[in-house]
Amino acid sequence: MPKLPLFLILIPFLPFLCTSFSPENPSSRRVLVLLDDLALKSSHSVYFKSLQSRGFELDFKLADDPKIGLQRYGQYLYDGLILFCPTTDRFGGSIDLAAILDFVDSGHDLIIAADNNASDLIREIATECGVDFDEDPAAMVIDHTSYAVSETEGDHTLIASDDFIKSNVLLGSEKIEAPVLFQGIGHSLSPANSLVLKVLSASPSAYSANPKSKLSNPPSLTGSAISLVSILQARNNARILISGSLVMFSNRFFRSGVQKAGTLTKHEKSSNEQFLTELSKWVFHERGHLKAVNVQHHKDGEADEPSMYRINDDLVYSVEIYEWSGRSWEPYVADDVQVQFYMMSPYVLKNLSTDKKGRYFTAFKVPDVYGVFQFKVEYQRLGYTSLSLSKQIPVRPYRHNEYERFIPAAYPYYGAAFSMMAGFFIFTAVHLYNK
Amino acid sequence: MARSTSKDAQALFHSFRSAYAATPTNLKIIDLYVGFAVFTALIQIAYIAIVGSFPFNSFLSGLLSCIGTAVLAVCLRIQVNRENKEFKDLPPERAFADFVLCNLVLHLVIMNFLG
Repeated sequence: MPKLPLFLILIPFLPFLCTSFSPENPSSRRVLVLLDDLALKSSHSVYFKSLQSRGFELDFKLADDPKIGLQRYGQYLYDGLILFCPTTDRFGGSIDLAAILDFVDSGHDLIIAADNNASDLIREIATECGVDFDEDPAAMVIDHTSYAVSETEGDHTLIASDDFIKSNVLLGSEKIEAPVLFQGIGHSLSPANSLVLKVLSASPSAYSANPKSKLSNPPSLTGSAISLVSILQARNNARILISGSLVMFSNRFFRSGVQKAGTLTKHEKSSNEQFLTELSKWVFHERGHLKAVNVQHHKDGEADEPSMYRINDDLVYSVEIYEWSGRSWEPYVADDVQVQFYMMSPYVLKNLSTDKKGRYFTAFKVPDVYGVFQFKVEYQRLGYTSLSLSKQIPVRPYRHNEYERFIPAAYPYYGAAFSMMAGFFIFTAVHLYNK
Repeated sequence: MARSTSKDAQALFHSFRSAYAATPTNLKIIDLYVGFAVFTALIQIAYIAIVGSFPFNSFLSGLLSCIGTAVLAVCLRIQVNRENKEFKDLPPERAFADFVLCNLVLHLVIMNFLG
């Protein structure tokens, strides 16, 4: 009996125990890492340590481990998934292609690394994410002018690429000096897909072919159309990183020096570590994740939000935009956020000015059209989550007593009418008293 | 032919002037009043031709006040004129009272329509 009231007291706390990952607090903490071979844990330890030092709990499992699962009883066990298992044909446990796609569709992040013996399953996952690997299973990216110079005479499959996408939010604000070492398969992106981006492209002289056999016909993937590392930001703001090389994440590549063929500069350390660490920060929402809160609008001079505006009113609109920094929400500072006053087409389109503390505001005059308008903020920038805010507000015409009382253009008519009245008055006086 | 018509016009004008000098003073005063009303109406028409008809109700109201005033004054002149056989039995005071009442109604309507 005494246990019953205690149990009842604890019931309201249950919802808080279940919300360890919510859109309000996008700090991914638990990541499932599926490996082909547990030796990857040590051969790629620098990369995993960089993730763990930022607070991620990595759960290393073999890809065909029968006990793995992404969700249990409808709740996801992990906030992110890393697939470093390019040769796996079947996942163990309850994970399969549909489960992984559901995982991404529910807003979670994914990192996939393929390799030159990538299985069909990995290729299919990548195709579902909008990225097409070369169909030839033995093909690798070969570049005879941009390869990495090494002691042994290689087949030029180890390439040094520095064709990065220009984005501070994706790759960090520090400039990447050295090229990135890459050895693996290339993929192409469909030009119709607006959500994927090439982060690291191959040089124009690269092509994808089997290094061991002679080229019988021209390769299908050539030049800068080959993407080595791509990202996808889905419409639900889930982020996916797809790389054609697993060995570019390894300690060996992180620590090795690099010299691009044809150049004289020999860099002490390749920029694999910087490039992949910064990208992983973006993938796990430590950069470029925006939220817009607290939309307010009111008439200029008043403080509360009216339920309706009148044409030719002056109004002030404000919104607060924050960016997640990995630990807390920081104010987002930009000068290109715009608000539209929209009814079938934008009647007003204005840039919002910011006070640098996250508050964006502007003032404008309601147009001379009445109807039901929307305050729309549509903000889509490369690497940032998309903001799409919309708030409806009606606009009414003038009431009959809100028009100007005396129209200046009609003053002559007022004058004529009154002069007629005065003339009548004077005339009656004259007419009556005239002999 | 042109010379004879211009001579005729001049003769007509002279005879009109001499006949008009013979009209009584009170009729001349009414004529002056009508002239003032018509002149104001012409000013308003010139104004709307230049500026456009934006508050059209105000234009109609102003114009109607001028024209209504002119019409009522002409009616008064007809009824007050002693040479007019038709209104021989109508006392001029009655004509004047009608004139005043009609003008009151006219100005009431004008004020309402002026906006």
